[in-house]
Parts: sequence; structure tokens; C-alpha cells
Amino acid sequence: MHKSLAGIALVASASLLPLAAAQGADLVLYTSQPTEQMEEVLARFNEQHPDVEVEMFRSGTTEVLNKLQAEIAAGNPQPDVLLIADSVAMDRLVRQDVLQPYPEADVSALPEGQYDPEMHWFGTKLITTGIVYNTEAGVPTPASWTDLTGDAAEGQVIMPSPLYSGAAVIHVGTMTQQDAFGWDYYEALADNGAVAGRGNGSVRDAVARGEKAYGVIIDYMAFGQKEEGSPVDFVFPEEGVSAINQPVAILATAANVEAARDFVDFQLSEAASEQAVAQNYFPIREGVAAPEGYPDPATLKILPLDSEALIEDTEALKRRFADLFGG
Amino acid sequence: MTAAAGDVARGRSRGRSASRFPGRSPGRAPSGLVRGGGGGARWTLAALALYVLALCVLPLLRLLVEIGGVEPGAAADILSDRATLRATRHTLEASLGATVVSLGLGVALALVLSLVRVPGRAALTFLVLVPMLVPAQIAALAWLELTGPSSVLLGALGLAPETGSRNWLYSREGIVLLMGIEHMPIVFLAARAGLRAVPGDLVEAARIAGAGPFAIVRRVLLPLSLPMVLAGGALAFVAAVGNFGIPAILGIPGRYTMLTALIYQRLSGFGPSVLGEVAILSAVLAAIAGLGLLAQAAAERRAGAALSGPGGGLAPAALGRTGWVVAAGLACVLVPISVLPILALLGTSLVQALGLPLTLETLTLDHYRTVWDNGAARRAFVNSAWFSAVAAVASLAVAVPLAWHVVSRRSRLARLLDRAADAPYALPGIVVSIAFILAFLRPLPVVEVGLYGTAAIVVLAYLARFLALGLRPVAAAFTALDPSLEEAARVAGAGPLTRLRRVLLPGVAPAAGAGALLIVMSAYNELTVSALLWSRGNETVGVLVFNLYDEGDATAASAASVVAILVTLVAAALVSALSRWLPEGVLPWQA
Repeated sequence: MHKSLAGIALVASASLLPLAAAQGADLVLYTSQPTEQMEEVLARFNEQHPDVEVEMFRSGTTEVLNKLQAEIAAGNPQPDVLLIADSVAMDRLVRQDVLQPYPEADVSALPEGQYDPEMHWFGTKLITTGIVYNTEAGVPTPASWTDLTGDAAEGQVIMPSPLYSGAAVIHVGTMTQQDAFGWDYYEALADNGAVAGRGNGSVRDAVARGEKAYGVIIDYMAFGQKEEGSPVDFVFPEEGVSAINQPVAILATAANVEAARDFVDFQLSEAASEQAVAQNYFPIREGVAAPEGYPDPATLKILPLDSEALIEDTEALKRRFADLFGG
Repeated sequence: MTAAAGDVARGRSRGRSASRFPGRSPGRAPSGLVRGGGGGARWTLAALALYVLALCVLPLLRLLVEIGGVEPGAAADILSDRATLRATRHTLEASLGATVVSLGLGVALALVLSLVRVPGRAALTFLVLVPMLVPAQIAALAWLELTGPSSVLLGALGLAPETGSRNWLYSREGIVLLMGIEHMPIVFLAARAGLRAVPGDLVEAARIAGAGPFAIVRRVLLPLSLPMVLAGGALAFVAAVGNFGIPAILGIPGRYTMLTALIYQRLSGFGPSVLGEVAILSAVLAAIAGLGLLAQAAAERRAGAALSGPGGGLAPAALGRTGWVVAAGLACVLVPISVLPILALLGTSLVQALGLPLTLETLTLDHYRTVWDNGAARRAFVNSAWFSAVAAVASLAVAVPLAWHVVSRRSRLARLLDRAADAPYALPGIVVSIAFILAFLRPLPVVEVGLYGTAAIVVLAYLARFLALGLRPVAAAFTALDPSLEEAARVAGAGPLTRLRRVLLPGVAPAAGAGALLIVMSAYNELTVSALLWSRGNETVGVLVFNLYDEGDATAASAASVVAILVTLVAAALVSALSRWLPEGVLPWQA
């Protein structure tokens, strides 16, 4: 009995070994960018750095960050590099002192404000949040954010939740900072039967499949779905859009700083920017054209955001949103 | 296969005889002779105790410590918070509603299939049990694909809801219906067991006294099987309370937040700073589930008292041609709840883009290729295979000697350990995962190794959660063994360990195999535990499907779900192939 028990225990523990071995990648990346896109991005990265094996963990920015916070609490932060939705979250991490600067990064093509002056994080693309609608739903084409609180949109609006999505944190933060909207706007949305999904993907899906006529969504997801043939279109509301810059940063605890810097260099390169355009993103670099059919980024009206205030308010914002929309 | 499904097997074996390990009356088992093994047996027992304590007891104690550490004022705030109250109310009302649906459907189906000899009875019974084999998150996904405006099936019939209309499943009623169907097999199995246990002479007596068939059902069969039905209903309630997949996929977008979804959202939306808060929420959840378990135990005690004699007096009535009508009627109920959702899932996984009709032009295997090409997705299938295999092998390595100590050696400590192993299985999975996060988030003292973020924490949680599932069949098999075999070996001079190895183990091997397969079926598609414990590189199939859907990739999520369902069905087929050698009641769906 002893022997057989020990034997089984041995087999059981031996069978765990391959799992342990699976941990040993060269570069660990935590990101909020959709998996399918990231596989293409990593394939391109590996063309330049064939020897760097990249392991990826993907979820919404808020979830990625909370996973990271749990790992930090466990004394076991996993990622070398972060590629998440927004710089407000990055600034929070800078304050927490868990990012390391990369002073030599080439930011010559980045506009000011799209990278950390202390060189902790660097924007990689421009993403705006506007309105997607189902063109076959027989609803009026939206033009303004207030259209979502109107009668035609009653029970027909879905939006991403800041409890999941970083873009949603920035969007709700931006909207609630505007005098014209504020939390009153979100109360009105809730009264009008708007619901919160989880990520932007859930919004895209609900609108594409016709469950909802309108969605609050990041631009490229709507354009991508339109390209696939679904009956959807994207609108930049007249009051303006909120914007994020999908920054990349290196963890202070990164095990492989060299590969991490290679990845940051790649993200800041023209090749990566062109690939992002091919994936329906607005380019952040000067001198790269926007995807076909997109407006000139320079003509976009972007709502102002006091990011210092949002850094302080993020947790309260999520609580308040959760109270209004559940969760 | 839901966690509660295995409970049915346990409920049945318990229900028949009221006590946990029946059959060994002192006269039959010369316990004094079998007792008193060598030191080897004692050491084994000590190792088993360590295992069960470390995995099944300590993490739950750690959860209690965490709750005790929250300041009373703060705890009161959390408990009286609007979101907490709302989620608690939602959990209660949706679980009760689902229980009513499960009871109605389950009892009706059990009555018809037990009382009438319908053609295709085995196939119909299988259809009744299908919802139990499809994990909750996949069921939710499948029903959305079935009933949504882009439904491939309804679209082909021209019945798809108007584009822009809201899928009504994103509502309390939708959650109640789906959870009701998902847990209906639990009630069905309990009711069927109850009906079968009704003594034949009672039915005969009623018939002689002039009672018609309906009077017999109403006045004899239903009252006598009522305790078993109620026990099944209580288990269905507990399963609904702990359900995560359906409340997460339907309730979160539908703004109908239940406790499991709230705990998940709080932890993933606010991070480890709210661990104290979610510990309290999980205590509320555990308390509600605990009420259900108490009700179940009470009902089973009554079942044991009511049906103590030999049952099996119920012969299904032959109806001739009417039987075909009944079978057709059953198919009209069962095909929509068991077959159509899976077909809808299949349709979505094959259509080029959401919203298009499925035609030869739009038919594509691209979404399966997407899943295959996605490294994380491929890894999830490999991981779940490993995790569930390790859980099955290790749990059986523990379950066999533990059940032996309980049944053959009648060890009181072993009996306590057996009870302790029940807790992580009976409690909602999300409570177990919170307990494991609390226990293993910080690096372990002395060795300074952190388990959070590794595969180990998922596997350890599986070991805790599924041990009971392996123990049940093995204990039943030990109980069913003829004690004279062991006695003969003893007389021939074999020591206790030799007897275990040469006599007992071969006898319980099929049950151990069945237990292992039941664990694989549960663990392979499991989501409630891994949803909070997974990490990069350690994704599970449940997490994969949930995340793909979450990301908005419904087509790839459907493709992954179809593959996951296939794996479950293969495991179910394998375990059914073993059924010939199993004691009755080990397989929940055994006819």
C-alpha cells in the first residue's frame, strides 16, 4: 500500500512538472488588446526577434491590473511588460513605484503628452470611444451622446464597464468631468434602461447580433466588425470623443529587461504603427496615415480630461458606476 | 457535468438507507478481527489526515479567520450595502424560482419515464440528463445563440427575433429558466430513485383496494417519494445558489447581479484590496447554500424513514400505441431544452460572421482554426486535461485508502475526514476559490513560495473540491464487497494491507475508475473555481470559453464550446461503459 501510494504521488507530482516548465518564457506580456490581434503583433515582433518567446495574458485593463496587484501582494509579479488601455492607470502604477523608466526609448515620433515625461510609459496608438449602432435595427443614426438618453434609445444601449475595461474608465471619467454631462448623464442612461456589458467586445457583439441598437465602444472594434460584414457603423458624436493611447511600460521587477526593451522599441517603431493601422487603429505616430475611411486624426474633437483628478477618483468612479449599473 | 450532479449519486445511496455507510452490520463484518492493522495502515491514515486537513479544512478556516478579522462596523456596512442586499435578494429569488422549474420539469419527467413503458426510453432518459453534462457557461452561451436575433436556427425558419430586439434571456426570468433546466436532472434522478424505492406491495395493495392509476400516483407514489423529491429540490437549490456561468453571462449584461457574479466582479474590478469584502460576501453565499444543505439532510432523513424496505415494485405500464404518443410528447419537451441549444451553438461556430444565415457559402471551419491557432486556447485544452487528470489520479489515490479506513476499518478519524472532504464540494465553488486565494496569495511561511499565479493553486483547489466526488463511488464499492472474501483471506494469513491490495482493490477498481472519470468530467469544464484562480499560462477550458465570449468572440467561443462538449460526452460514454461493474447508484444517470 505504501509503495503504491508513494508511486501514485510520484506520478501525480511528475505530471505537474510540465506545467511548471510552461512558466519559463523569455518575455511575459500582460495586455488588454484582443488576443487575435496580439497574435499578429507577436508574429511580427518575432520576425525581428525570433529568439524571444513571448507569453501573453490577456483580459480587460481593469482585470489585468487587479491580477497584477494580486501577484504583487503574493510577492510574485509575473509580467515583464504591460500593454494596457490608458495612461491614467500607468500613472497610478508609477506612483506605486512598480514601473521602471526606459530613458533611451525613441520617442521622436510621438507627440508630446503621448508618453511619460519621466519615460515610464509610451503611447502606442490612438483609440477613441464613440457610438456604434446597428444599421438594420431601424433606429435613427446617432449624432450626439444625448441621443443615447432619448426615447429612440430606450432599453437599446449597451456600454463597457469600467470594472473591466480601461477605455471605459477613461470614458466614464471624461464624461463625468464635463459640465454638459457629469453623473447626471449616467443617471439618465440608467433611467433609460442602458446596460453595462463587460468589455468593448461584449458591446460589439450585442450590437452586431442586434440585441442592442446602440453601443458605446472603442472605434476599431466597430470598424473591424463592419469590415467583417456585420450591419454596424461607427459615429464620432458631435460633442467629441474620449481618447486613450494604449501605453506600453516595463515592470520594475521585469526578469528580462533586455527583451522588454526590445518589445517597447518594436511598439514604438513605424512597422508596429503600420500594423496597428492595418488592424483598424488610428496611428499615434506623426506621418502614418489613418486607416481608409477614417477621418484625419487631426480633425477629431477630443474631450478634455483632467487625468490627475481621475488618478485619485478611479476607485470611487468604479463604485459609483457599479451602483448605477449593477456589479 | 455540474458539481451537484455527483451529489445526486451520494443523495441516492444515502437516501436509500439513511446512513452514510450502510450494510455493515456487526454480524456481517467481524470488525474486531479486521481491525488492528500494522503501523503501515496507521501511517497511511496519518498521511490522509494531513492531506484532507491541508486542502479541505485549512483554506476554509482561513476564510473564517479573514471574516473574523473584518471590523464589525465595516462588516455591517458591507452587509447592508445596496449592492450586497440586491445581489442576496437576486440569489434567493432566482435560485428559488429555478428550483421550482427544476422540480416541475424533473418530477414530471421522472413520473412519465418511470410509470410508462415508452419506446426509446434510454434515449429519452439520456436527453433528460444532457443539461447536466453541459457546463453552465456553455449552456448560457448556447441559449443566447439559440434565441438571439442572429440565431442560425431561428433565422433559417424565419422566426428569428427582430434585429434590435433585446434577448429576453438577459433577465431574471431567463436566469431562472436556464438554471432551472440546468439543474433539473438533479431533481429527476432523485425523484426517479424515490419512485423506484416505493415498495411494490403498497402499490399492489392500493390496486386491490380499487385505486385507479391516477389515484395511485397521487395517493401512494407521490407522498412516499416526496422526501426524495424534496431532497433533490434542495440540492438543485444549492446548485443554483452556487451557479456562476449563467448569472455571469446573462445576469451581468442584464443588470441582474447575483452573489456569485458580484463576488467575481468585485474581485476582478477592485482587486485584492477588497478581499475582506468578498470574504464576507462569500460567507453570505455559503450560508444560503448551507440552508439548502440542511433542508436536503432533513429530507433525506425522512426519505430513509419512509422507504426503508426493499423497493422496486414499480413496473412501468405498457401502453401499446399510446406509448408512441407519450414518447413524441416527451421529445417535444426534451429536444428544445437538450438538443436545440447545442445545435444553435454548432451553427454559430460554423457561420462566417454573426448575423449571417448559415448557407453553403457562409459555412466555414475558420472559427475552429482560430481556436486551434490561438496558443492560449490550445493551451487551455491541454491545461484542463492535465488539471483534471491530476485531480482524478490524486483524488483516487486518497479516496481508496480513505474509504477503506472508513468502511472496512471503521475508523472514526477516517469518518471525520470523509465528512470534511464533503465541505469544499458541497459549498459553492466560488467560496472555495476565495478561500484558496486567502490561503495561498501571500508566499507560504518558511518555504517563501507563492502559489498564487501558478498552476499549483488551481490544481490544489481542484483536489479539495473534487475529492468527495471520488470518495462516493469507492465507498459504495467497499460497502458492496462481500465481507466473506476478505475474511477468507484473513484466515489464509493475509495481513490487512495484503488483503487491501489482493482482495479489496480489485473489487473497487471499476468504482475508482468511475470516480476518476466523474472527476475528469467535472474538472475539465469547470469554471467557478478557476475563474478566480487562473493565471497566464494556466488557463482552463471554462475560462477560455468565458473569456472568448467576454471578448466578444462569440463564434470562437462557440467553436471552443462544441469541442468541450464533445470531450465531456466522450468521458460520459467511457464511464457508462464501466457501468456493468459498478455498484448501483454510482453513476447518476445509470438506468
